[in-house]
Amino acid sequence: MSKPAAKKRIFIVDDESGFTRLLKLTLEKTGRFIVREENDGTKAWLAAREFQPDVIFLDIVMPKIDGGDVAQQIRSDPALERVPIIFLTAIVAKRETKTDIGGFPFLSKPVSIEAITAAIAEHTAK
Amino acid sequence: MPARVLLIEDNPGDALLLREMIAEEPGEQFKVVAETGTLERGLALIASVEIDVVLLDLSLPDSHGMETFTTAHHAAPEMPIIVLTGLDDEDLALHAVQLGAEEYLVKGRIDMALLHRALRYALERSRYQTALARERDYLHMLLDNIPDRIYFKDENSQFIRINSALVKLFGLSRREDAYGKTDADFYGAEHAQEALADEQRVMQTGQPVFNKVEFETMQDGKRAWSLTTKLPLRDRKGRIVGTCGISREITHLKEMETALEAERNLLRAVIDNLPDHIFLKDAAGHYLLDNVAHQRWLGASSSREVSGRTAFDFFPAEIAQKFQDADEPVLRSGQGVLDQEEESVDAQGQTHWALLTKVPWVSDDGQVHGLVCLKRDITRQKQAEAHLKKANAELAASREELLRAMGRLQGAHTELREMQLQLIEAEKMKLIGRLAAGVAHEVKNPLAIIKMGVDFLEQRKTKDETVKMILKEMQDAVQRADSVILGLLDFSRPKQLEKKRENLNTLVGSALKLARVEMKGAIKIVRELDPKLPALALDAEKIGHVLVNLLTNAIHAMEGGGTLTVRTYSKQLTGVGRNIAGKESESFRVGQTIVVLEIDDTGHGVPEDKLGKIFEPFFTTKPTGKGTGLGLSVVKTIVDLHGGTIDLRNLPEAGARATLMFQV
Repeated sequence: MSKPAAKKRIFIVDDESGFTRLLKLTLEKTGRFIVREENDGTKAWLAAREFQPDVIFLDIVMPKIDGGDVAQQIRSDPALERVPIIFLTAIVAKRETKTDIGGFPFLSKPVSIEAITAAIAEHTAK
Repeated sequence: MPARVLLIEDNPGDALLLREMIAEEPGEQFKVVAETGTLERGLALIASVEIDVVLLDLSLPDSHGMETFTTAHHAAPEMPIIVLTGLDDEDLALHAVQLGAEEYLVKGRIDMALLHRALRYALERSRYQTALARERDYLHMLLDNIPDRIYFKDENSQFIRINSALVKLFGLSRREDAYGKTDADFYGAEHAQEALADEQRVMQTGQPVFNKVEFETMQDGKRAWSLTTKLPLRDRKGRIVGTCGISREITHLKEMETALEAERNLLRAVIDNLPDHIFLKDAAGHYLLDNVAHQRWLGASSSREVSGRTAFDFFPAEIAQKFQDADEPVLRSGQGVLDQEEESVDAQGQTHWALLTKVPWVSDDGQVHGLVCLKRDITRQKQAEAHLKKANAELAASREELLRAMGRLQGAHTELREMQLQLIEAEKMKLIGRLAAGVAHEVKNPLAIIKMGVDFLEQRKTKDETVKMILKEMQDAVQRADSVILGLLDFSRPKQLEKKRENLNTLVGSALKLARVEMKGAIKIVRELDPKLPALALDAEKIGHVLVNLLTNAIHAMEGGGTLTVRTYSKQLTGVGRNIAGKESESFRVGQTIVVLEIDDTGHGVPEDKLGKIFEPFFTTKPTGKGTGLGLSVVKTIVDLHGGTIDLRNLPEAGARATLMFQV
């Protein structure tokens, strides 16, 4: 076995707790990720500052606050402005994933674990 | 032949003497044919025997003296009678001569010469008197019976003799009552003076006045017309001593003439007041009679200016010749023409339309002498007719215009309705879009959890094949559910095309590559692509989606294999026959060039009852799990957005044909 690389810190913001829990389980089971989940969008910014993630997965449609607003909060924070944000949404079709939403990459739900890990790899490599 | 003598003498001696003296006359001029001694017998003989002269003795047994003569003279007034008397009765005999006896002879003084002279004179005188009496009787007969008035006047114009007609006219009982009077005593002053002047002129000049028409007024106010002739009255030496004349009342003739004139004037007024032209022409074309309307048409002011002249005197030669040519057949055949329309030019050069009736003027012997013509100017009617025709045409034209406008309105109305339906459809689609987005979100999140769960479980690397199979089925189910949602989103997405000039053949090639993935059985692909196909403005990605969808459907319809034919061509719509059929006519117009794409398969075709619904959303003929039912509705939406048409129908042999048409 090769020397384990430093685990990537993955921050998932989604009001669907079932989804975040399963994603966290699945990612952590690989042994390559440390995952924090946040189901309340309004708390996402503070939680991110605290967690200092390598990649943020951000749901768009959430109660109380929109994913876009959360992304703006995070981007305006100098401590977080360089952290890649990947939108994860149920409202766009799969083949639109090629383009961005407001400059951000995104994935369409339902999404396979392979697509998630590929996206993490892609955006942390830069 | 000797003259026949009747001797009435009762004295036989005298009788014998007279008879012998007559018989002895050597010239045998007289002969006693009968002799009697009584008056009664004598009168009977006069009545029964041809007698020329009577010798009558006044003293007879049955009559005596003067009575004898008067009885005989009365019985035979024209019979010359010579009275015989005695010496003592000479006065009596003279009296008899005064009463009408021709001569008297005194018995005893008679000798043969005297007797013969008496007989001869009596006979001569009688003949002369008879003739005179006859003349007088004729004259009286005429004067007293003729209804004409006859008069004789002296040099002062006083009546000296009038006939019974004048007696009656003057209301007199005897003609003598007029004598010494003048016209002034019977007639009105005016006529009396005029008559007097005429008579004085006749007497001065000796020239008669013949048949002068006079208007007489009687003193009682009666009026009459008369025809008078006045002659100078001359004595035996030829000197003019007065006048005589005859006049005839012609009042009834005058009245008749007046009535005739009035009638003629009335007829004249009728024909002159008629607006129609009435004229009579002889066979040579001379006008004989016409009315004012015709004169005015000729430019003449009286019938005198027209009478005896021809159309050549009033019209240019060619027009007059036309009239004459038109008259000729009527004159020749004797067949009239009725209400013939004639275009002509009047004396001022104005064109007129007339209704002409021409009837031959035929005399009693059947000869055609000319033409009676009746002409009615119908120029105004003609003009009105023309106006009416024009107005009608204009009306028809504006009706056409209205109908066309109505057609356009109807077209616009239909378009509006379609647009309204499309708007309703668009609103519906917007609603579906919002619904789809909501549903997508609500379904995709649970799907994401399931997917994540299945992925997690698959990572456990179980050796249990059943679990593996279950996980695979679950992955497929998630995939299917996701593709339904994707289709729904596709269907409801706001439609915007990014059109560029594209070659449809190129897009067909790309789509075939993608669709080939779906092929399972032995399917032969036939390309019949027109290399000269004109370029079309298309959204390549969306039309690609349409083509893949249609090709996939065709491939799915031929599970057991078959032939897929893709055909493209272009054509110009002529509108002839079936060139424009079905849906084409709603989208395209005659004259446009269209590009046609046909995709034929040899599969199972589409059930006929489903063909009508095949483009509705969520409608599918595929078994559950094989299709979403959104494909063809999305396809139709895309084609509609391109202004094209899509049609799907079964082919008569087998399989189905999808036809796409786009306007170049």
